Amino acid sequence: MGVQRMSLPSDDVGADADADANTGYSRRSLLAAGATGLSVAASGCIDRVQSVVDSDTAEQVSLSILSLPAADGDRETAEIARHLESNLDAVGIDATISTRSESEFLETILIDHDFDLYVGRHPADFDPDFLYETLHSTYEYDQGWQNPFGFTDTLTIDRLLERQREETGADRERTVATLLEGIAQEKPFEPICVANEYRAVRTDRFDGWDENYLTTGSGYLGLESDASSDTEQLHALVTDQRLTQTFNPLSPTTHEQRVIVDLLYDSLAVPRWSVPEETEATDEETQAGEEVIDAANVSIEPWLATDWEWDGENRTMTVDIREDCTFHDHTGGDDTDADGSDDNGSESAIPLTAEDVAFTYRFLADTTYGRAASASPAPRYQGHVSAVDSVTVEDEYQLTISFSTDRAVAERALTVPILPSGSDSPWISHLESSVESADDDWSPTQGDWSIVTTDHAPPTGSGPYKYDSHDAGTSVTLTRVEDHFTLRDDDHDLPAPTADELHFEVDPGTSSSVERVANGDADITTTRLDTYALESTIDDDAVSFVESPSWSFYHIGFNTRSMPCGNTHFRRAVSQLVDKQWVAEEVFAAEDSARPVATPVAEEWVPDSLAWDDGELVTTFEGEDGDLNVDAARELFASNFEYDDGALVW
Amino acid sequence: MLAQVLTRVALVVALALAVSLVVFVGRERLASLRTEWQPRLRQSAPAFALLVVILGLNRIMRQDGYDISQAYGIHMTEVFYSLEGDFVLLFRSIATPEVTTFFSVAYVYVYAFVLIFPVVAYVALSNTVVLRQLLTAYSLNYVIGLVFYLLVIAYGPRNVMIEGMDATHLYYASPEYIHLTTEVNQNRNVFPSLHTSLSATVAIFAYMTRDQYRAWFPVAVGLATSVIISTMYLGIHWAIDVVAGLVLAVVCVVLAKRLVGRWSLSAVFERVRAGDHTESVSGPDREQGEDGV
Repeated sequence: MGVQRMSLPSDDVGADADADANTGYSRRSLLAAGATGLSVAASGCIDRVQSVVDSDTAEQVSLSILSLPAADGDRETAEIARHLESNLDAVGIDATISTRSESEFLETILIDHDFDLYVGRHPADFDPDFLYETLHSTYEYDQGWQNPFGFTDTLTIDRLLERQREETGADRERTVATLLEGIAQEKPFEPICVANEYRAVRTDRFDGWDENYLTTGSGYLGLESDASSDTEQLHALVTDQRLTQTFNPLSPTTHEQRVIVDLLYDSLAVPRWSVPEETEATDEETQAGEEVIDAANVSIEPWLATDWEWDGENRTMTVDIREDCTFHDHTGGDDTDADGSDDNGSESAIPLTAEDVAFTYRFLADTTYGRAASASPAPRYQGHVSAVDSVTVEDEYQLTISFSTDRAVAERALTVPILPSGSDSPWISHLESSVESADDDWSPTQGDWSIVTTDHAPPTGSGPYKYDSHDAGTSVTLTRVEDHFTLRDDDHDLPAPTADELHFEVDPGTSSSVERVANGDADITTTRLDTYALESTIDDDAVSFVESPSWSFYHIGFNTRSMPCGNTHFRRAVSQLVDKQWVAEEVFAAEDSARPVATPVAEEWVPDSLAWDDGELVTTFEGEDGDLNVDAARELFASNFEYDDGALVW
Repeated sequence: MLAQVLTRVALVVALALAVSLVVFVGRERLASLRTEWQPRLRQSAPAFALLVVILGLNRIMRQDGYDISQAYGIHMTEVFYSLEGDFVLLFRSIATPEVTTFFSVAYVYVYAFVLIFPVVAYVALSNTVVLRQLLTAYSLNYVIGLVFYLLVIAYGPRNVMIEGMDATHLYYASPEYIHLTTEVNQNRNVFPSLHTSLSATVAIFAYMTRDQYRAWFPVAVGLATSVIISTMYLGIHWAIDVVAGLVLAVVCVVLAKRLVGRWSLSAVFERVRAGDHTESVSGPDREQGEDGV
């Protein structure tokens, strides 16, 4: 313990201590929590911390920054990583960038946990509850999107994460504010900026693109097709080859998979945006000159569910689901396509019932479905399914779901893709064969066993589009499901599939994708564009760049399982090496495309203390205009670590 | 889009080929082809077959090799960057839109021409040994290159340096070529530079055949040099990849000269047909004299 105390300052936590010295009780308790978190994090690494004391064996602190390729990946990420690297080098840390492809990048972080720190984007969500999955210590040893940082703070952060799930209204707002302040102090990750997403679209073949939905599958529904031109196939471009290789909705290492999963699978409910009318827009929104994405603008609306009803305590929900919906049938071959919704097709098709919904929640919580000694949660959707206590099937099309959380969090759980449960289910048959071929004590690796890593082709969902064919690494084609309820039923105003076929083709990157849309070779760039593309001018009225608001934030993620990133003071000091304002203005080429943030949630949830402009808990850059004040920055580290001949040592 | 680019490259190369054959090879040799092409191609058939097999293998492995390199490959991007730093940005000092166009053309069109022209030119030589050596050297380049691609995972400068790459970048300057290059090359396969090794192989052969094709030698060296510089100018390869490519070229030429003529398929074939089952130690040497040097 003596060793740990050495690195804890007596009355000073670094540069931001003066700024927030008078914010009262919450800060004090958080400092205590910080110390606890530190001792927990440090306890596993005593011998490495000890080397701080033993100066004979001291060696320079070295860090590997995981990042993406600049030209063929995400240029903004690579540029932020380069900014961070040079500033880490400047303060005497031996930093190197490890460039990895998108899927390797995710695998290293989410599955292998083999990193010091990384720069990347987090998908985030409209509701701050995504932080539960992201930071709760119950997921400390899990693989997948749940707690990739290995962060544990059982006394403060865990409790706040749990409490905000059960509260409503102003209570929840207060708890979330305290939680966000706590996260900003502990820094398991440091948010840098929230960036809008840009896509190039053609409007001469398909029109009615809704910028709010292009990050989801809904963006590809409810379009208007131009009757005068050939609009059988909508041609979309993606960058990640994996999108055309694996269709497993559980795969954590396929980025930007959401659009295709949304189209292939139905969920009980979907998020809907209500864009404020010009006149109703708040000052802030008008001032920004763009739609600010607000939690208040998003609601969870029925999709596969026709309706749901809450009990008096808002803990149990009775859900009615649509009747006569079926899972896609891949056995019939091409003839079912030609006949559309003929009798043969629907007879052999597997109906979607309440049993499938119940299966989905249980399966996502434990992909071994109780067959192994310990549960194996899916590497995705844990924030969603952990809100569900139990699911009871009432009849074929009705079920009751009881939740451990309040309504806001619970309704978010309704957005997971519904998977088939019957004997024809690919999940069931995969399970059966795994159990059969395994030993008595079957214990698949959570988050990384074959049911998660399989390509899962053809995928069996019930969504508005059905998998047709794919050429691995090149393209995937989906066909419209003629008897999908959005086309069949008329008791709703939900968007229905327009194009007969959706063809997603792999394209190397931003500049060539834009060129292809401009040439008329494609209708949309599904993968978001690097912002430099917006500087190019396209001399074609039918082509435009669409700006979609997004919650997705760029951040530095720390691996708190190992030193030095397991040390809170170290993470705080590193966070002060990134000039977020400069990044938002210079790295993101298009004006107002990114805004620097101190906290990772939608604007509506940002407490005053963490407002970027004047929040007293905002971490500031040690320097100006992207240039580090090296002496001052070294001071940040010197208060907790040692320097030897200009190099930070431990 | 790929088809368009391919067609254009094929047309341009065909045109350049027609002109250069007349200029460098001469009407006389071309005329001899009318009667001679069949036996010459028959003699070189094994070398052609080898190249086709290896190109096919190369294609399969470029796709399936991902998992192998994932398991056994070593990430070298940062090592290369720390070793040579911003060296390739030196070429940026000469960057203008015209220069970028020149090197983009070199990278795509000149490269294709440089590889194809000597094959046709050497068919026009009465002795096929040079042709067979060239084809074998191509095959060796691909095989050895492929092994390195599986073992060394590295991204090129364009994926590491951000400042200073925009103007000179093939991807930003001529996005239509990206399709072509991604079709033949994964972005993590940069060490060694096959553009360099194959161009240098052609230049070395041009030196070896300078007596037959006097004018081709300086032209080949000039074209190969511009292809090699284009790989760095466009931010596709590190200088280290280029050096490795040059070494690979020398190794492949030396190996090809040793290997070609050592075994003769036609000799084996003849022997089998003649029913001659007696082991003949001097057999291969005798055959080498016959259809070899």
